[in-house]
Amino acid sequence: MKSDTHEKRTGRAYLRELGVAFAIYAILLVASIRFGRPLEEGVLRTVVLLSPMIGFCLMLWAIARHLDRLDEYLRRNLLESFALAAALTAGLTFSYGFLETAGYPRLSMFAVWIVLAASTGLVTVVRALRQR
Amino acid sequence: MKNHIRALRAERGWSQADLAERLEVSRQSINAIETGRYDPSLPLAFAISRLFGLPVEAIFLPDQETA
Repeated sequence: MKSDTHEKRTGRAYLRELGVAFAIYAILLVASIRFGRPLEEGVLRTVVLLSPMIGFCLMLWAIARHLDRLDEYLRRNLLESFALAAALTAGLTFSYGFLETAGYPRLSMFAVWIVLAASTGLVTVVRALRQR
Repeated sequence: MKNHIRALRAERGWSQADLAERLEVSRQSINAIETGRYDPSLPLAFAISRLFGLPVEAIFLPDQETA
């Protein structure tokens, strides 16, 4: 029997595609900070500062391709985790919106991404522990 | 849904990983199906049926009969 399992095959392909996408994101991020910030306000500056999103979109594409490669059980599990993490993020960020009204400091929209990543990690770990 | 997959697999001396590879799915999927935590789709159920050479209804047992 081959030792190259479904999990290993899909995992390798995912890491390769995500790695390339992240490298593109990182290069564009550094370039946009280096060359975009000094530019005068205008369309060109906006486009340059937004350019890291090309890498980000490639990461989303890598995730979509990963979902497509997974078997039905793993795909369902992952999509359920994403859904729960998105709901948790919505709850937390919505709550913080009320707290801002109550005088808490205003946060950047970038914070939403951090909350989403943390929520996804938390949900994944809790579900994995529950399934043991 | 209950099933006889663990017994059928054992008869053939296959591990969960062996069966997973034959069906081109993950070992976790086989474990989830065997323990009744996951009911496979019709295409996967038929692939299991073909692999064991048995009809689907001889492998999977419904929890209760419905009309």
